Amino acid sequence: MRGWLAALLIAGIPAIAVAAPPVCEPPRGFEGQKRLESAEVVVLYRTLPPAIKVGQHFAVEAIVCPGRTAGGLVVDAYMPEHRHGMNYRPRVTGKGDGRYLADGFLFHMPGHWQLRFDVERDGKTERLVTDIDLE
Amino acid sequence: MRRYAIGMAVALALGPEVAAAEVIPFEAGEVRRVLQHGPWPPPVTSDPSNRMSGDPAAIALGQLLFFDSRLSDRGAIACASCHVPARAWTDGRPRAVGLAALDRNTPTVLNVSQHRWFFWDGRADSLWAQSIQPMLDPREMGGSARHVATVIRADPRLSCLYAAAYRQPAAAEVDDERVLVNTAKALAAFVERLGTGRTLFDDFRDALARGDRAGAARYPASAQRGLKIFVGKGNCSLCHFGPAFTNGEFHDVGVPFLVAPGRVDSGRYEGIRQLRGDRFNLLGPYSDDTSGASAIKTKTVELQHANWGQFKTPGLRNVAFTAPYMHDGRYATLREVVRHYSDLDMERIHAHGEQLLRPLKLTEGEIDDLVAFLETLSAPDATAAPGAPASVAGCP
Repeated sequence: MRGWLAALLIAGIPAIAVAAPPVCEPPRGFEGQKRLESAEVVVLYRTLPPAIKVGQHFAVEAIVCPGRTAGGLVVDAYMPEHRHGMNYRPRVTGKGDGRYLADGFLFHMPGHWQLRFDVERDGKTERLVTDIDLE
Repeated sequence: MRRYAIGMAVALALGPEVAAAEVIPFEAGEVRRVLQHGPWPPPVTSDPSNRMSGDPAAIALGQLLFFDSRLSDRGAIACASCHVPARAWTDGRPRAVGLAALDRNTPTVLNVSQHRWFFWDGRADSLWAQSIQPMLDPREMGGSARHVATVIRADPRLSCLYAAAYRQPAAAEVDDERVLVNTAKALAAFVERLGTGRTLFDDFRDALARGDRAGAARYPASAQRGLKIFVGKGNCSLCHFGPAFTNGEFHDVGVPFLVAPGRVDSGRYEGIRQLRGDRFNLLGPYSDDTSGASAIKTKTVELQHANWGQFKTPGLRNVAFTAPYMHDGRYATLREVVRHYSDLDMERIHAHGEQLLRPLKLTEGEIDDLVAFLETLSAPDATAAPGAPASVAGCP
């Protein structure tokens, strides 16, 4: 097996089809961001204000990489244990080059929330999820 | 191990000498949830959508108007006819009675500045937009923009205060609707100042926060046990969240929404529809918030099937004074309300609703304790009459 792998590498053929996530560096001024990634997509995001509090509106700034091929972004939130999302549908504005601002989030109760990023790309939608526990 | 963890949590909050005989054990998470219900009172803030918010002349005008039955058709009824100060600004009836009978209970206006939406169904997105509706509703005060403007223009004291607040006499304003909106903004400027003071609960909460064991021990033991249920296994604080004991949003808690045979009250569902069609909402021309920030909720609120049968989470401050309870006033006592959640009929929860509620199955002693806790949320000043309106220079 090891011999096989060495032969493929010498031949310049990728041995295993596991792609690395795209390179995605935050631009200057985009401090405090967090990172979500799959094999094909990276989302850098941060919330405004940085601390999320129950009952207070916040926005999400996101950068999708590779931005050139991103067809769009939907950001929403959900409480899996309660089987409900927010009472608000955030408005996502594309800022160009893979940058987005989603405004209008409000977590109306404490508990476990999921922040969901649905990236549209090549006619498909890929979901990246992060967990937020709110007291 | 569990007892040790509980002991550590309380020691963290109250110091090493805490004895269960004085302050019952609270786990660390319960202590954090208790602290979230304060501090109280909250700081006084202004409503950016109402430029009269905090204006002394507008507050004085609003106070006079609140008690003035001339705003209604044939002078029959005032705001204060249903929001009676001696009844904690409610009317004590199951369902309100204006010029006609209504379907819902009169909510208190105390601490209403802490709310995000107004009315049981949240069909108004500001306190001033809310104030317009009872004046015009034929079942409530039955007035009109023309009628309200005529009353303001004809009365020397009201017109003087109006001119002091708006820097323009009502008589010079040819648009009756503008006078109506300005009247509503003055009413809101008054009502938003109706906050209540501290309670027994606030003293306990603050004692917990500063680690004052002796101060915390003054809180009745039954109320402590009820509070522990409230923030613990009862999960009450999920919706009755924060210093005002409301998350300001809407839930289906299993109260039937059949108002009469063949007629339902869909609550938040119709509330959002009416909000969107309301020309006085925060997206309309009468909002004074040039930043638009206060309208983000109105822009993004979503109409969902799950909104059917949802009603606003009421704040629980002063709840001992505001019987009867629920949006339709079906329960006469707090004990009945607690029993509702204890024996919750899951068949009545809307099928598409959230999976949040389960019957609490409380013992009679636990029901007593929850009621004892709820009774400590009432402030002595909740039933006090307001002082005389502030005098404004140049006005009678």
